Amino acid sequence: MAHNLEPDLDTLELCLREGIAGNEYADPREALGCSADTDDSEVARALVRLVAANDLEQIGTQSLHPDAARHPSVRPPTEVLADPSFLGRLSTSGDQGLSVERIDDVPTLLAVLRAGSRRQRRAALGRLRERLADRRLLHSDEVRNAIQTISELRDVELGFELAELRAELPGATGRAARQEHEHWKRLAQQTHSEVRAFWDGQSNVDAIRALPGDQRALLLMRVSELPDAMVHHITAMIEGSDGCVPLESRIGLITSLRYARDPRLVPALVAVLEAERGELVASAARVLGGIDDARAQPALAERFERSFVAEERIALAGALGMHGDCRGLGEVRSSLDEDQPQLPLQALQAMGSLGSPEHTDLVAKFLDHADASVAIQAARTCARIGDGRALDELTDRYNSTSVPALRAAIEDALSAIAARMELRGEEAVAIDWSEVGDKPAPQKGSRDSVPAIVLGWRDYFMARLWLLLGRVTWAIARFESSAARRDDWAVPLIGIGMAFARREQYALALPAFRRAIEVDRPRIERNPILVRAMAKSFLHRAEQVESEGRQDVARGLVGEVLTLDLRRAPGTVRFELQRKHDVLRREKAGDVDSAA
Amino acid sequence: MSTRLREAAVQHLRSLGTGTGEGAVRRLTMDVEAEGRVEMVTLSLRDGELQCVCSDARNDGPHVLAALRFVAGLEQREDSSPPGPIASAAGRAEQSPDQELASALDDLLTAITRVGVEKAQYAPSVDAALGRVVSTAPQPTPSGLGRFIGRLQHELRSAELHRVARLLQGASELADALRAEGPGLELQQRLSAWLGTRPGSLPQVELLYDRTMIEVGREWLSGTERASLERRYLVDVRSGRVYREDRPRNAGASLGPCPRLVQVGLAEVETGPSPQRIRVLQYEVRPEVPAESWQQLQQVALRSFAEVTEGYRQSVQASPSLAEPFALVAPYRIERNGVFKAFDAEGRQLVLNRSERRGAVLAFYALLAQGAEPAWLAGRLTDTGTTVCITPFAFGTRDLKYTRL
Repeated sequence: MAHNLEPDLDTLELCLREGIAGNEYADPREALGCSADTDDSEVARALVRLVAANDLEQIGTQSLHPDAARHPSVRPPTEVLADPSFLGRLSTSGDQGLSVERIDDVPTLLAVLRAGSRRQRRAALGRLRERLADRRLLHSDEVRNAIQTISELRDVELGFELAELRAELPGATGRAARQEHEHWKRLAQQTHSEVRAFWDGQSNVDAIRALPGDQRALLLMRVSELPDAMVHHITAMIEGSDGCVPLESRIGLITSLRYARDPRLVPALVAVLEAERGELVASAARVLGGIDDARAQPALAERFERSFVAEERIALAGALGMHGDCRGLGEVRSSLDEDQPQLPLQALQAMGSLGSPEHTDLVAKFLDHADASVAIQAARTCARIGDGRALDELTDRYNSTSVPALRAAIEDALSAIAARMELRGEEAVAIDWSEVGDKPAPQKGSRDSVPAIVLGWRDYFMARLWLLLGRVTWAIARFESSAARRDDWAVPLIGIGMAFARREQYALALPAFRRAIEVDRPRIERNPILVRAMAKSFLHRAEQVESEGRQDVARGLVGEVLTLDLRRAPGTVRFELQRKHDVLRREKAGDVDSAA
Repeated sequence: MSTRLREAAVQHLRSLGTGTGEGAVRRLTMDVEAEGRVEMVTLSLRDGELQCVCSDARNDGPHVLAALRFVAGLEQREDSSPPGPIASAAGRAEQSPDQELASALDDLLTAITRVGVEKAQYAPSVDAALGRVVSTAPQPTPSGLGRFIGRLQHELRSAELHRVARLLQGASELADALRAEGPGLELQQRLSAWLGTRPGSLPQVELLYDRTMIEVGREWLSGTERASLERRYLVDVRSGRVYREDRPRNAGASLGPCPRLVQVGLAEVETGPSPQRIRVLQYEVRPEVPAESWQQLQQVALRSFAEVTEGYRQSVQASPSLAEPFALVAPYRIERNGVFKAFDAEGRQLVLNRSERRGAVLAFYALLAQGAEPAWLAGRLTDTGTTVCITPFAFGTRDLKYTRL
């Protein structure tokens, strides 16, 4: 075959672009100098050879036009109109327009803290921190009110920011936060040395995986303060390149990072989105949704466009919603519209970032769901949407439910909606809890005789004395004797529970706490020390039985404690309980296996 | 087209293979010559319906008609009987696996050239040709060939004419190498790069001892399936050479996060496309990279962009289908006023590739806007036809901080 020495490259490129078959305008045979009856395969080889050779010669011969190096812009597509209200237009930073950074009014910041999105709430906390740093304002009523609000705030999503701010506060709250930080430092230091031993080959146990759940939650809450080596170790586990972590533990670790904001985690999480599937992707998406990083949205959007697994798509849609990209709203909405939604919990979570007032009815219908965790999530989603039309339904549900955790979630939702209405300039709703049903059972008048009371206290103090002397068995006998003297007295039962909880004998602590809850639940729920001990006992016992392979028992324990009002328990414990609850639910559905 | 002819063809298609238990035929692709032209015709059964696709885009033309007549057994044959069951492998004319693969690669090249790069991603004939390449290749698909297929599918989706031409040129060279009798050293190296070490050929590897390397980036790449290969980029802190460690999905490789410091006791380096593939055999790993190692890395980074460009050109010319060069560059100065421009001391410019790893590029810009000053930048080199550009993976600053993008 004789090739033309100076072929017309434009013609050849046109032929390759449009195809040599059926191209009526250009025949490469002529340009290639081939005869008309040359076989297509010969023509194809010659054509490709010439085009490629010319292309390879051109490499590096020109500089690109400077415009080609400009900043690539990404504007997330949205399907819904932006919320024109104050909160809808409130940005987290910036010197122009409505920005949290420019708000000086403390009550407004507190309202944003209750009613805003996660990013707005974080920004409001940051701004409050700046305002509280001004010592001249410390004695004003507004600031005192702010300090009280911050002390009482139980927002798990803002655990790290709250801990940082509380550490700067005066008084007991500040002291407790500083102590917790010191505890974290010791924990981080110890874990760091164990991580070094792991990579040096001196240990085959991953230190983070071996931590109890609440300790791991505490450690990872401040992941952005961890040294690079620790974060690199965590990313190795996320990517599965540490050589020893099974799939379930990878999922567990990623879910433990749910509210982390450290950009050092992003490349590993993006790698999970790119290469994995199932629950790993859903967990990674939820973490990426909360991280302000330019890499997150493109990775989430790319994965959303090619994913076909419902659980992945809903989690990705929710995460995209947190970045202001509402492309998955339709899917989440239709998922909730179904008569028997397959993934109501996940869809409601996603609706928390995607929903608008028009979705209030859709979400509110789940307040009556038979599964308490779904109803609780519906209340939380109502809080995030913040539409006043949900007030009646929330109030009705509050009055009709006997699940303390649902009542707590509804209380928070009502506060958030009231704050949002205040920010919208609507009439502030003052919620009268005595009317909406916050009526703990009135304390019955004591029917115990005076001798029973006196003997009861005597046994109780004897039990405390035996405890001090280390005679636990005798102490428990005295506590039991004390409890037997008075029917409705929870104090000795709590004493038994606390005694066993302090000795990490959680299996023995649980029955005592259960009996105390039966007798006087509000007493435990309203006391931060008691509720912490009780919640940790349930959590650690669940971990124990889970490690023995009894997942059903563990699921029951976690589900039981999550029906209580745990708002006064530490955020890390609540976070870990919720996380474990979600993981155990998925294991029941078999999703963890399918994620392999 | 006659309905009777179609029905007859459907009946024969359904019957092919089922009688012998060798498997039912679902799709047939054939080259048909009619009216002085050779076209590729694909006949497939989908949900019981017959679909006919021809590379001349005429689904009822003479080529399709001839193909249907052939399948239906209506054309003139010496024995005038319909085509019988597929001959068993023993009964067919013996063709070596290498020749089969070479002919499958030729068919792929021809199929794409016939339909054109713009339409190739939707063409059943191209799908069929790709499927044939995979089925005739050694199993499991070698990573080089798999990566070629992944890249080709990606470039076909974006209809990048020049990149597709380069990839096809590489495939054409592989076909030549497969057909060569008693291939020399160079052809053997080419075959090894595509198909791995082959029976009877000596592995072309260089052994490395006692090296210190830093992994600066990693990514998931597509092969015959999406995300089928994890590639890690390791830089020797003494020589500045970049190696790639490929880990197929569900296979093992060295452990550790990115970045990491790898003290390599023993490693094998394949002679092949850039960056060269490394297999780390004995190593120690540390998840924290000490400052002096970052300092060393900064010192071995390439400072001349002309050198970067020349190295890239040579790599791509040597292996148009397989080379995916990766470089560590140290810009002399950068400009950040709205655009990113990196310059070397001679004023030559290196630009960012914004079409890949979009999130990483955005994050890089965001960090630049926050005042980050890259002392070195690591990334995969690509080109826009005439200009070499870099897809960022990581950068380090003068205060010896590393950021993975």
